Amino acid sequence: MANVIFKDVHKRFGSFVALEKLDLDIHDGEFVALLGPSGCGKSTTLRMLAGLEFPTSGEIRIGDRVINDLAPGKRDIAMVFQSYALYPHMTVGENIAYPLKKRGIKGKARAEAVQKAAELLQLEALLDRKPKQLSGGQQQRVALGRALVRDPQVFLLDEPLSNLDAKLRSYMRAELIELHARLGKTMVYVTHDQLEAMTMANRIAVMHGGRVQQFDTPDAIYNRPANRFVAGFIGTPPMNQIDGTAEGDHIVISGHRIPFNRADFVDSLADGPVVLGVRPEFVAIGSGDGLPATVRLAENTGHETIVTLELPDQTRISARVEAARKLDVGQKVALRFDPAAIHLFEASENGTRLNLDETPAAVIPMRAK
Amino acid sequence: MTTLTTDPPRNGLSPLERAYARLGVVLITPTILVFLLVIVYPLLAALYLSVFQIYTPTLQGGFVGADNYIELLTGKAFWSSLRVTIVWTVGTLTLQIVAGVGIALLLHQNIWFRSLARSLVLFPYFLSTVVAVLVWKWLFNDLYGALNQGLMQLGIIDMPLDWLGSMPNAMIGVILVGAWKYFPFVVIAVLARLQTIPENLYEAARIDGAGPIARFWDVTLPQLRSILTVIILLRAIWDFKEFDLLYLLTGGGPVTSTQTLSLLVYQEAFGLNQMGQAAAYSVGMMLVMLVFMVLYIRQTKEKA
Amino acid sequence: MKLVRPVLLNLITWSLVLLISFPLLWMIVTSLKPQTELFRIPPTWVPETVTFEHYWRLLSETPFLRYFRNSVVLASTTTVFVVGLGTLGAYSLVRFRYRGRETLAMLVLFTYLLPSVVLIIPLYLMMVSLGLSNTLFSLILAHTTFALPYALWLLRSFMEGIPVDLENAALVDGASRMGAFRDVIFPQLLPGIISTALFTFILSWNEYLYALVLVNSDAVSPLTTGVMSMLISAFNIEWSLLMAASVMMSLPLIVVFAFLQSYLTSGFGAGGVKG
Repeated sequence: MANVIFKDVHKRFGSFVALEKLDLDIHDGEFVALLGPSGCGKSTTLRMLAGLEFPTSGEIRIGDRVINDLAPGKRDIAMVFQSYALYPHMTVGENIAYPLKKRGIKGKARAEAVQKAAELLQLEALLDRKPKQLSGGQQQRVALGRALVRDPQVFLLDEPLSNLDAKLRSYMRAELIELHARLGKTMVYVTHDQLEAMTMANRIAVMHGGRVQQFDTPDAIYNRPANRFVAGFIGTPPMNQIDGTAEGDHIVISGHRIPFNRADFVDSLADGPVVLGVRPEFVAIGSGDGLPATVRLAENTGHETIVTLELPDQTRISARVEAARKLDVGQKVALRFDPAAIHLFEASENGTRLNLDETPAAVIPMRAK
Repeated sequence: MTTLTTDPPRNGLSPLERAYARLGVVLITPTILVFLLVIVYPLLAALYLSVFQIYTPTLQGGFVGADNYIELLTGKAFWSSLRVTIVWTVGTLTLQIVAGVGIALLLHQNIWFRSLARSLVLFPYFLSTVVAVLVWKWLFNDLYGALNQGLMQLGIIDMPLDWLGSMPNAMIGVILVGAWKYFPFVVIAVLARLQTIPENLYEAARIDGAGPIARFWDVTLPQLRSILTVIILLRAIWDFKEFDLLYLLTGGGPVTSTQTLSLLVYQEAFGLNQMGQAAAYSVGMMLVMLVFMVLYIRQTKEKA
Repeated sequence: MKLVRPVLLNLITWSLVLLISFPLLWMIVTSLKPQTELFRIPPTWVPETVTFEHYWRLLSETPFLRYFRNSVVLASTTTVFVVGLGTLGAYSLVRFRYRGRETLAMLVLFTYLLPSVVLIIPLYLMMVSLGLSNTLFSLILAHTTFALPYALWLLRSFMEGIPVDLENAALVDGASRMGAFRDVIFPQLLPGIISTALFTFILSWNEYLYALVLVNSDAVSPLTTGVMSMLISAFNIEWSLLMAASVMMSLPLIVVFAFLQSYLTSGFGAGGVKG
């Protein structure tokens, strides 16, 4: 069993709180992404799991072992660094063999393991080269090879793709997914790129300000964001958030009344200030009856157009429409939101979502085509 | 956002962190011990000695309180040496900076055999002061020295000059040799900085119609400013405390006209055999230098 | 016009370079001239006869070789001692966290700037009372006062240039801190160590003041004071001989310049002149 558990973990650097009350339960064999903006604590979390940082309090477990006080080398983990951290003075072969050497694996066993890892990653031809002579993609592979050569219980990956160009990155994403499927090992993957997290991970922990905001499947993170931060972080462009007021079964925005189904939301939802959330793909642009808005920008990406609209109170929101749709800047339009796609959040800065989770939101397709 | 109430029973560092810290201390301990022995102890001893009168050959003497410091403040020796030190430092430093920046700008150009030229320019800096002084003493030799002969052949002077035995020639001489020996330091530092100035800054200036001189003032010099501050501070400190070069070239002479503070301390301790007084002079000298040191350390801290 | 500018530039630059290196050329020229040619007026700018007699006399009739050996022992021992301590110390200062670390680093910088004359009097007294005066060991200890802060400062800056993740990777791969130091950091630091060692060696090789004060026996004199004493003791100053001694004394430096110059330049970058 190689599940990973963070239990009530805190981390402070002096007076700066890097992580607060971190609780994560990562299952055996799961691919988990830690996602968030820089400074959110995701790297600290990974480095604590690696033994490169130490929690101020709390408990970290791999399987049934508490690993808080174990040296990194004794945790049965392997790590791929953002910079790859290949040993420049060693050849590719020596780099891959190093973890085995440090574990006293000698001679034939070592050579065979290196060979196997090299084959898996198509590095056989490069074994005698120095890291400096390799391309970025090849270095990345060597770093992976060094990680998987000794068959650890948990793989830690710290933004491993961020130094690659866009094309290679999408190729390596597929490779990593395949590798995970083949090895069936627990993987913890730190990234700031939501695309990587959404496409690769079984579950994503969205982090912000030293706290886990939501830990769930990509589908749930997208369709049922726990709070305003997650809603505003995931999606390109992210979910629109509009200040409004709840009045009975309407939300009032700039004097315009938008109906919603009260039964879909928690009982505690009271009349008063509330934030309405709606993904750009569920914003319909029409004329006549609807929330009045002005077109400010229309960006045609080829297969769709992202429209930036300004509401009467000057809030800017975006809408996703088909590429052929013609809209002029300055044009007055009326907006309608799909009632089934409406999210409501508490009006506070990072207000929680008020939808009941049995709501049809789950069946809403990720991208309305 | 921090709530200390959720704090753990276990406070502070993990055992592994503590073991790391211990290892760190173990690794630095030999250095600290050597520091204590050869730097901290002598430094404190210098302060202690400065309130005694000690006769060097016998090392006998007695406590005299602030007498040595009163002598420092009221006597002529310290202040006259301080003046000499400032003249020497400002003179040689100015020459070093001007020559250093100038040569660095030339060597930054695409000239023939550039690396050979650089090596030749750098060499004096690494040369032993003893060698530099011997060579220059021979050059300065009043009868057969190449300097006087060369200047006479060129018709600049008609009679050999006495370079090190009279004033102000002696001061000019040491300043010249000091500049020759130490300007390569400026060259290396400035060259390294020049290589990091992005070419597109010059292109932009050229597009804006700046000529070579305007480009130097508006592009090169501002880019060099921070490195020049560091160089000037560092070299000022080193020139201020220079001993070997002055001692070997003139011995402080004629009389005391090139006797800097370093030479004064040495002369007082091992020439006049007044160790306590010498210690007091050295403390006074250090206090003056402390100004530059603090400036330099602050500058370095800013960078870090 | 297009061709004139670079030619002019080269002409100016090279005249200046030759002017700067003239004292050194003159040193070599003088050392090769026979005594009789030395005192001609006007001097012969290129020697009419080239002779190596001064070098021969220097090695056979003067204690030069003994001074040279003393200097080699002194500079090498100081270098090994200081670079050894400094490497471990720099590792500690850069890669470990403990109380007082920052203060210590500042103290190192402070001592790096300290004038030798402040320390020389107490050091002299210390060596006398320990019975160490007139020994090479006393000079090694004394040279530590400037060489150790210097080496520490240089090595610290080289150490900071090594990515932390390299060490972290080694730790995750199963190395201990010292294991990571041996396997990963030391090989990466090696160019910095060589550079620091060269600088330290040159500093120690060239040092004069401590040798002047702490050693007055010819048997343990290093080159600096030894060669100077040849100048003072001679009834008639033999400039050719002294110039030959100067050339010989600069020999290690010439070797370094010819083969290891890049290490000297990189040491400069690290030695506190980052702008």
